Amino acid sequence: MFFIKNKKGADKMLSMYWFAIIIIVSVGVVAMVYIFYTAPYEVRDAESEVLSNQFANCFSRGGLVNPMLASVGEFNSGFDLLGECEVNFVVENEYGWSQREQFFVETEFYSVDDLNNPKLVLSEGNLDWKPSCFIKDKKDEDYDRLVKCNEERIYVLGEDGEQYLIKILVGVGKIDKNVRQ
Amino acid sequence: MKKKRVFKKNKKAEILIGNVIFILLNVLFLFVLILFLLKQGDGTIVLEQLYAKQISLLADSANPEMLIKIDMERGMEVAEKNGIDFREVVKITGNVVEVKLGENSGYSYSFFNDVRLNAYPDELNNEYNGLYVLTVVRN
Repeated sequence: MFFIKNKKGADKMLSMYWFAIIIIVSVGVVAMVYIFYTAPYEVRDAESEVLSNQFANCFSRGGLVNPMLASVGEFNSGFDLLGECEVNFVVENEYGWSQREQFFVETEFYSVDDLNNPKLVLSEGNLDWKPSCFIKDKKDEDYDRLVKCNEERIYVLGEDGEQYLIKILVGVGKIDKNVRQ
Repeated sequence: MKKKRVFKKNKKAEILIGNVIFILLNVLFLFVLILFLLKQGDGTIVLEQLYAKQISLLADSANPEMLIKIDMERGMEVAEKNGIDFREVVKITGNVVEVKLGENSGYSYSFFNDVRLNAYPDELNNEYNGLYVLTVVRN
């Protein structure tokens, strides 16, 4: 029994094999390039930091409490958080963002003598985001798809010389434009 | 007696044609691949997003009466290549920054600082120098 060498057939098989290899490698390259170039830039950490700074600068004027916020030891519960601090939570109308606010802020004002009971709590925006701020499991694959929060604590002096602690917690959603879908 | 001319099938030539077609197909395939990579790598989509977010963050951190210059030279080159006037690259509507470097593309991102932002390209001797000027005005 002997086998005749089928050189022509073997050549064709080899060509097909190489063509398949080239296609597989090319698909891999295209996929890698696509994944690399379509990954959005994550800017929410910077955004939340700047947002909390904006509120901190609004509450504290050179170390003294903003007179619109508190005077003679009394906090103004009607303080317009967004208006007075020149913040606008309106966002572009994409991904249904106009139906769901993409920011929130919650501020608590304490007298340093009593850090358990806030003298005033003010909040604006979408507070549904708030529980996400307390999730610390960064290994969770969905962690990046949570709201990015930033907490800031500042001490200010009142007109009467009393010290106040202000806790500022802000959150930025905008997940669709900062995290790969 | 006249000899008949007989053309035999040239097997070697057949193999050559097969190889040439195979090589041509490979070259075509690689050409399309390189074209795709170049299109992705020219930066239109990446730069649009980069500039829109950069301008938004600058606006968030800015105070009224500020004048900010941002280097957009690469953006200017891409816009020129895509036939977009550099003056039309950055548009600000309310608190939304839109950057457009291609005919069928564009990226927008909003800023939360309640200020009015104006954007226009910087010019030197009536020529764009790749810088964009942002002026911040109290609302």
